[in-house]
Amino acid sequence: MAVFFLAGAAVLLSQNGDWLRVVQPRVWKFPEDHGSHPGFKTEWWYFTGNLSDQVGAKFGYELTFFRQGVRFAPMNAENPWSVRDLYLGHFTVTDVSRGSFRAEDILSRSGPGLAGARMGQMDVWLLDWSARMREGEILLSAHKNGLEISLRLKPRKPVVLHGSNGLSQKGAAEGVASYYASFTDLETSGTLTPSKNGPAVTVAGTSWFDHEFSSDILAKDQIGWDWFSLHLSDGRDLMIYFMRRADGSVEASSSGTLIERSGAAHHLARDEIALDILDRWRSPKSGGNYPSRWRIAISAAGIDLVITPLLADQELVAAGLPDLVYWEGAVAGEGSSGGRPITAEGYVELTGYAGNLKSILK
Amino acid sequence: MKTVTRSFLRYTFRRRGLTVLQFLGIACGVAATVGIVLSARSALTGFSKAIEFLKGKSTHSIERPAGPMDEGILVRLMGDPAVEAFSPVIERSLRLSTAAGAPGFARGSTSGVLARGYKPRASSEPKARPLTGETARILGIDPFLDKNVRPELAYAVTTDKADENLSDRLTFLTKNNAVLVEAQLAHRLGVSVGAAIHTVKGDFEVVGVFPNPSGEPLLLMDIDHAQRLFGLDGRIDRVDLVLNDEPGFLSRWENGYHVQTSLKRRETLAHMLRAFRLNLEALSLLALFVGIFLIYNTAMFAVVSRKKDAGILRSLGAYRSEIVGAFLTEILLLGSFGGLAGGVLGYFLSRFLAGEVGGTISNLYFFLQPAPPSWSLWIVVAGTLLGGIASLLGSLWPLLELVRTDPVRALSGRTADRRSGADARRLATIGAGMILLSLLVLFLSSTQVYAGFAGAFGFLIGASLLTGLALVLVSPPLKRTMARLGGLPGKAAAGNIHLNLGRTAVAVAAFMVALSMSIGLSTMIGSFRRSVERWLDNQISGDLYISSMDELDVPVSFYDELRAVKGIEGVDPYRKTLTSFQGTSAYVSAVDAGVLQRFANFAFLKGGRENWDRVKTGEVIISESFARRFGVKAGDTVTLDAVHGPAKLRVAAVFYDYTSEHGILMMDRAHYLRLFEDPTITSLGIFVDPGNPKRGEILAEVGRRAGDYDLPVFSRDELHANALKVFDSAFAVTTSMRVLAIIVAFFGIAGAILTLFIERQREFGIYRALGFSTLQVGGITLMEGVAMGLLSFIMSLGVGTAMAVILIQVINLRSFNWTVFFYPTGMPYLLAAATALLAGLGGSLYPIFKAWRTYPQMQIREE
Amino acid sequence: MDPIIRVIDLWKEYPTDGDKGTAALRGARLEVRSGEIIALLGKSGSGKTTLLNLLAGIDRPTKGRIEVEGRDLEAMGEKGRTQWRRLRLGFIFQFFNLLPTLTAFENVFLSLELAGRPDPQLAVQALRDVGLEGKDHRYPHELSGGEQQRVAIARAIVKQPLLILADEPTGNLDTQTGRQVLDLLVEQCRRASTTMIMASHAASTRRCCDRIVRIVDGAIVEEAPAVDFEP
Repeated sequence: MAVFFLAGAAVLLSQNGDWLRVVQPRVWKFPEDHGSHPGFKTEWWYFTGNLSDQVGAKFGYELTFFRQGVRFAPMNAENPWSVRDLYLGHFTVTDVSRGSFRAEDILSRSGPGLAGARMGQMDVWLLDWSARMREGEILLSAHKNGLEISLRLKPRKPVVLHGSNGLSQKGAAEGVASYYASFTDLETSGTLTPSKNGPAVTVAGTSWFDHEFSSDILAKDQIGWDWFSLHLSDGRDLMIYFMRRADGSVEASSSGTLIERSGAAHHLARDEIALDILDRWRSPKSGGNYPSRWRIAISAAGIDLVITPLLADQELVAAGLPDLVYWEGAVAGEGSSGGRPITAEGYVELTGYAGNLKSILK
Repeated sequence: MKTVTRSFLRYTFRRRGLTVLQFLGIACGVAATVGIVLSARSALTGFSKAIEFLKGKSTHSIERPAGPMDEGILVRLMGDPAVEAFSPVIERSLRLSTAAGAPGFARGSTSGVLARGYKPRASSEPKARPLTGETARILGIDPFLDKNVRPELAYAVTTDKADENLSDRLTFLTKNNAVLVEAQLAHRLGVSVGAAIHTVKGDFEVVGVFPNPSGEPLLLMDIDHAQRLFGLDGRIDRVDLVLNDEPGFLSRWENGYHVQTSLKRRETLAHMLRAFRLNLEALSLLALFVGIFLIYNTAMFAVVSRKKDAGILRSLGAYRSEIVGAFLTEILLLGSFGGLAGGVLGYFLSRFLAGEVGGTISNLYFFLQPAPPSWSLWIVVAGTLLGGIASLLGSLWPLLELVRTDPVRALSGRTADRRSGADARRLATIGAGMILLSLLVLFLSSTQVYAGFAGAFGFLIGASLLTGLALVLVSPPLKRTMARLGGLPGKAAAGNIHLNLGRTAVAVAAFMVALSMSIGLSTMIGSFRRSVERWLDNQISGDLYISSMDELDVPVSFYDELRAVKGIEGVDPYRKTLTSFQGTSAYVSAVDAGVLQRFANFAFLKGGRENWDRVKTGEVIISESFARRFGVKAGDTVTLDAVHGPAKLRVAAVFYDYTSEHGILMMDRAHYLRLFEDPTITSLGIFVDPGNPKRGEILAEVGRRAGDYDLPVFSRDELHANALKVFDSAFAVTTSMRVLAIIVAFFGIAGAILTLFIERQREFGIYRALGFSTLQVGGITLMEGVAMGLLSFIMSLGVGTAMAVILIQVINLRSFNWTVFFYPTGMPYLLAAATALLAGLGGSLYPIFKAWRTYPQMQIREE
Repeated sequence: MDPIIRVIDLWKEYPTDGDKGTAALRGARLEVRSGEIIALLGKSGSGKTTLLNLLAGIDRPTKGRIEVEGRDLEAMGEKGRTQWRRLRLGFIFQFFNLLPTLTAFENVFLSLELAGRPDPQLAVQALRDVGLEGKDHRYPHELSGGEQQRVAIARAIVKQPLLILADEPTGNLDTQTGRQVLDLLVEQCRRASTTMIMASHAASTRRCCDRIVRIVDGAIVEEAPAVDFEP
């Protein structure tokens, strides 16, 4: 799951009566469904990955392209500037050995070719950031203020559809859901420039790609969510998201997905996942009190892990929107899977602990 | 304080009237200079600040050589490795109006000046909107991209309303006529969020207010709305860039585009004002110049009247240096205080002038809203220094006189300058020499403006030096005339003028200078205006003009539409745009050569309508300013940076033109489109056959259609009137300077009359013995005043006319590079005569009043 | 005792097209001893003023020498001559020549200031000595002719000069006032043993003087000591 930057769901549906709702099961077609779904209000292409360079130094990255529909039909169809969608990009790099975390963001409307996402194929760009699928491989490119990335991602497993055949329920009410597909295991190679004026580093590792689209993602009584994407060393991948309610409880329709080495995916219901928070970290910037160490146990799958962030402070404050504060960071851990000891790496996203997510999501 | 100094300073108090006159004269002179310099400076500082502020983080900007450019360039810029950030900009100026009108883009509303007799559609607002005259800069931007280039432009794109959805919160983007207004403008107009702003282009809704340290009135609009507002489909004016590799970028983009640094942009704009500023500042010096004369006059009087005291002091054993020191103290104190007052006065004057200067610059050059000059103690310091220096300059010669005083003669009580005649001759020789030298300078240096000013000033100084001799020569006939007119008092008056040549000559000279400048400037302005009128009649001869003001472009579709209207003989799609040429700026314009050949009557330096034939085949014609400025003549080739690279253009002919001192290069529209790919039309000229019986209906129809497009329509007469109004307002500042110079000179004359009167007080005993009554004594004073005034006037006839010629043939020509034709009229001379007479009369009033008060008993004798 | 003033073969001529009214001196010679009061007689315009001006150093001779206190006046230079007037000389004029913008007190005090002894008490005392007590703060135009001349006398004597030159001191006063002023002047000189050369064409001058000299055709002619007869 990914982050909403402007407004994932409108509370008042009157203006957005035209947006498509996530209610019925979807017939998926790939590679077409890697492209844009402009009928839905919110959509993102979300890449995270754990990489290491030639000497084994660890890096994490996140590159997200987010499309937020403002008006179903632009006021002035002939003028490319006339707002229909806004595009936001987030790009972060965690340099574990230096203990640094850098984040950059861009915001733009489609305009005359400035940003956009094609329908029918994965081709999304935001100024000179891009994520394009060519011959089954995904090419990522982004740079700002000296932070640069250029990667090639090759899926090792087929597309995974989360929830019920790709319909991922987020709240109790009908329609509070998204269509959600992922590449959970992407072989990654390329270059990364983690510091301004620094050298480009050759890196390799594993990435995770999330693609969600929806028109209504956060229910009225929810304040945020915790999302995990993990690669286990035995070849399994794990996705978990917990929607958190204002009263502190976890939304019943929260769920997860377990992907076997073979690529087969199993849906995990809320009660099949035991998530304990072992530690907390308070942000000096925002005051948010984030969980900072977890124990994840899925007895049905024989999984028992302890996950720790590779860097405590991987908190993002979007320059364009100071209300938007969330934590998204590279994590690693160890435990057991199917009875055997394993290690794990991946990304965790924690939203709604600081800032004013609700105001943004309205 | 030393007693010697005190004895001199007491005179300041004794001769209160004179001191006041001196003080006022210096104050006015200093005020003029301070006022002009301050207002011009503040206009430019404000403008620099605005440019600086708007520049933001950008390092360069890229635009087409002429006209707006296709927004497709943005994608290419996006991918260029040298571009770190970019922001497309539409930058225009927009006139605000006070009355409410239809919301922006409403069909059928009319804006601007409503052409009389042309009825718009019934559904629209029939009234023309009265304009505040305030102009604001409006920027059309994409706020997301712009934040990367202008982060300090701190505005919020989203509104605060937390419970509205995104579309409603992004009203800046989603509302058609949304604008953000800078704080000071909002305050001035009394608008806040939700209110409406009225402009010539319709009404806008204020969705936000933002702080603006530049002080310039600024509106921000989303780029797509701005495109619609100004009829720019898919085009933008320029892109502001943050580059990290200039040479690399230039290597890719130089061809067909104009890339310049932000610094260069500012310099270019400042450079455009050079001639204008120079002329203003020179003008201000005039007032000060006259002020120096005044100081000379009063210092001379002081010296002459102190000669006796100086003699006494020398006999008592005072050193020359002590006497000079005391005198200098007196002069400097008066000059410094006068200068101080002048500085303060000048500050207030500058506040008044700043608006005029800014308005003129906006009308003639580019948008400029000057912030009113801010007070600083430096103004007072500057004024004091200026007053002090002017006093020193003015009193240099009198000081020398004082130093040379022969105590013997001084003690014997002889104060009249017996050697005046010889001195006058000597001075006249120097004066004649100066005049010759100045004329030489004027003729030899054919292009230098500074030389022109030096020559003009030199000529004036030379002419003033001739005054003494002129008075000596004119004295006998003057005596006879005045004796005939005024009897014995008349004769005495004439005699006094001659006798006190040292004083009278200077006063007459100062007044002559002021009158001459007045005549010269009036004649120059009058000739200029007449030249402009004739040029308008010849060159701007269309029946109707559409959209000739306010930066409102004409949609090409409307041009096409009009061409199809039956009965219209010709439509001239006029385009004028600034481009860079040979490292500086010049104008390029596009016209329909065929239409103008038939209907307009351009005044070419050589040849007539046949010149247009060559324009039709791709040659260009240039204005005289262009020709003189760049040293280009008919038959030469010039190279312009066009879209596809440099273009060589042959010059067919040169024409007289006053559109811009920077020069215009004019070509046929088809050629322009090929070179610049810019279809923008600045204005349309409509030509209808005068013999056509349906003429009125056709023109009415055109007016109606223009109303549909929200375009202002002007008849030929209205356009001419507007142009002349701009002309007149441009010279408003000049007028205020002229007035000041005359005021200073008036103080001079009044001072001279007063000094003569004071001198004569000693001789009143004689007059009394001779049987003169108070009336007759007053009469003498009056006639002295009038005589001096008239003498100044008579001299100014020649000098003034010469100044007019110099101003036209030299100053104007070299500053602005155009020929102004000489159209002398009687008005300036009449005005000068009236001024001279009034000054003479006015200057005598105080002395007469004093005489009345001091010698009432003389009246009895009369009876 | 050496003469304090010595005039040797003094000439003062004017170019022919010059001003009239100033006579020439042709080979004048004179010696003045300390404490002497000399009457300088001659018709109006005979050169009396010229001689006084030359002695004061205000005017420069065409030919000849003037020695004051043994020093050549010409050789003293402009500064020296100014010093001579400033410190050692008192001048009294026919038309009083007070500075019109200064009070009586200030006119006298000026003299002291120039002489380097700016003591107001001296000025006050001097005015008292000439009988003008209480009129310190009057301006010259507020004083009668006689009073003005008294101020002039005070101005001259207050610095205790070596020599006083008086050019027709009573010329502008009526007979009675003139006699008073003359007596005052002579008395002040006697008291301080100040040397005085007084130019005059009045008969009354003779009585008070030690010597009488007369200018005739540009030369100085000594006359018999004060003898009471009409010219």
